[in-house]
Amino acid sequence: MHRLKSIQRARLRTLIAAGAAAGALLLILLWRPWQARQTVNLGPQQEVITLNPKMGVHTRLTDEVEEWKIKRTLEMVREMGAPWIVEYFPWGYIQPEPERWKWTHSDQIISHANRQGLTVVARLGFVPEWARPKESTPLYLDEEHFADFGRFAAEFAARYAGQVDYLIIWNEPNLALEWGYDHVDPAKYAEMLRVVYPMIKAANPDITVLAGALAPTLAPAGSQDAMNDLAYLQALYDAGAGPYFDMLAIHAYGWRFPPDEPAAADAVNYRRAELLREIMAANGDGDKQAMITEGGWNDHPRWTRAVRPGQRIAYTERAYEIAQDEWPWMTAVAMWAFRYPWDQKSYQDYFTFVDTEFEPKPIYEEIQRYAKEGPNAVADPALSASPSQNAGGQ
Amino acid sequence: MRRRLRAARTWIILIVGALLGIALAGLNQTGRGPLALLPGRDVTWQTVESRGVWRVGMDPSFPPFETLDAAGAPAGYDVDLARSMAEIWGVEAEIVAIGYDSLLDALQTGQVDSVISALPYDPRETKDFRFSAAYFDAGVMLATDETSVIRAPEDLTGRTVAVEWGSSGDMIARRLARDGIDLTLAQYATPDEVIEGLVRDDGVDAALIDHVTLRQAQGRGEPILAAGESLESAPYVIASPIRAPQMAARIDAALEALKNDGSLAEIETRWFGPLPEEPATP
Repeated sequence: MHRLKSIQRARLRTLIAAGAAAGALLLILLWRPWQARQTVNLGPQQEVITLNPKMGVHTRLTDEVEEWKIKRTLEMVREMGAPWIVEYFPWGYIQPEPERWKWTHSDQIISHANRQGLTVVARLGFVPEWARPKESTPLYLDEEHFADFGRFAAEFAARYAGQVDYLIIWNEPNLALEWGYDHVDPAKYAEMLRVVYPMIKAANPDITVLAGALAPTLAPAGSQDAMNDLAYLQALYDAGAGPYFDMLAIHAYGWRFPPDEPAAADAVNYRRAELLREIMAANGDGDKQAMITEGGWNDHPRWTRAVRPGQRIAYTERAYEIAQDEWPWMTAVAMWAFRYPWDQKSYQDYFTFVDTEFEPKPIYEEIQRYAKEGPNAVADPALSASPSQNAGGQ
Repeated sequence: MRRRLRAARTWIILIVGALLGIALAGLNQTGRGPLALLPGRDVTWQTVESRGVWRVGMDPSFPPFETLDAAGAPAGYDVDLARSMAEIWGVEAEIVAIGYDSLLDALQTGQVDSVISALPYDPRETKDFRFSAAYFDAGVMLATDETSVIRAPEDLTGRTVAVEWGSSGDMIARRLARDGIDLTLAQYATPDEVIEGLVRDDGVDAALIDHVTLRQAQGRGEPILAAGESLESAPYVIASPIRAPQMAARIDAALEALKNDGSLAEIETRWFGPLPEEPATP
């Protein structure tokens, strides 16, 4: 009897140990997904206060791992007075396998952005491995997989209906680099739009679909690397792409030119956007809007296309002002780039508004002041010889 | 039985030896392995010695560190530094002009043996390159006139500080203000105007400017001094391939020698002009 009891007790102990082990295993298994969920409080609903509702920035949250940094970035965008953000949502990150979807990171970005009162413009691209040939780059997509891309874009549009109202299809397809080192081909991109556009609209009829911004370039005809952006846009219309986008995304970098430098076909400057607009109008798309989804100036001390830091501030402020005052066809201007998750250690760092540690650069504070007080609220030292004086740096 | 054991032992020794050899060779491929430290294993240095020429990558577009003279030949602080170091080693320095953004690529692909081009230290690149000790710190300095009592950022309370609008100096001044130092900013459009503002004394008590601008102004004879060390360091260094430990060691030794015998200070004076004399302490 005593022996039977001790056997039972031993069995019970084994059972408890096994149960504890199974519980621990379950906890370990659940730990990662639990961690991946949203853990940072969204906070109260905010709104952007600004005198220029067309102000925007391109954020770089794609590779920002920590959620609090996503939130802080978007808070600072709001506090600067920019109601628009453009953000990149790589297809390959979200749908790494045909039937596997990873929405956690994009959920975080979009929910935090919405809570900060920001309008999200989502750029889609980056082909997963399963949708492209081996040895190809993530920027290559063949026509057999356009429908796969369309399915992803439609899922995205449906999931974020009411939260994301603007989608950009691809990026700079007039560069061989951005076209998977394939031959730059406006007709192929037109075909992509023809396949993808109706799939997105079926999923979310209210969403605005933007044709991908073209890289401003003076590449000569026949170049292996790029096609002139003006020529490409006309070729896109010639290929019948007009009905398959609602708005045109534009990249408008000023390089060393001030924002009021007149547009010219043989110059890359901020007002080159006007030439793209003329092509839209000439092709019957005069009623459509455009949006600058990348642009601005750089103040690296040695980069050949950079300007002085003060010029960058003055030019950026003026560029926002031009969009507000002179371009009724321009919905928003998103400057490149608000902040990088880590230092690039190159001229790229000199495009940003805040550093990787969230310390605001002077341009951030000056644009913040512009959003609150409007243009010419303070003497502009970049445009005059006498100094401007500010107590406490504010 | 004993013979079998002996044969097995021999095989084990052979296998372990072979594995050790493979591991050492593999480690050495990275340039960080123990063999890399043995004399005669640094191909870059060996080639410099046998060739008698040290190929130095440089973007000659940043005077006074590097530029092209009237005859189109490279000239400047970094050029003289390269030649002085080469002289120590008994080789010739060949300056290879390369665009700034491509300098490290050129080093990685073996087009040059080292890079000297007012190159700021980048800790993230240390996995691919070896960086020397700093030979010049281009960071932001607090500058004052010779009579000023301002010696540190804490002394800026109630003072007017000149900065180039939007620059790193401007960023630091705003940071100081956020940290509670009650200063007034005088923002100018260019670094030269900052110096002018400080020198002509239009109510400006100090300036926050990069060391290159400050040093150039001092060389022109402007009566301004640096108060303390740089507030945000930006050290210029010499880069060599990661697989060139001997090259890197010789660079550091040569820099040290040039510093100790006064040559480095001489090169600085040659390209920036003399430093103003420190006022005598009362």
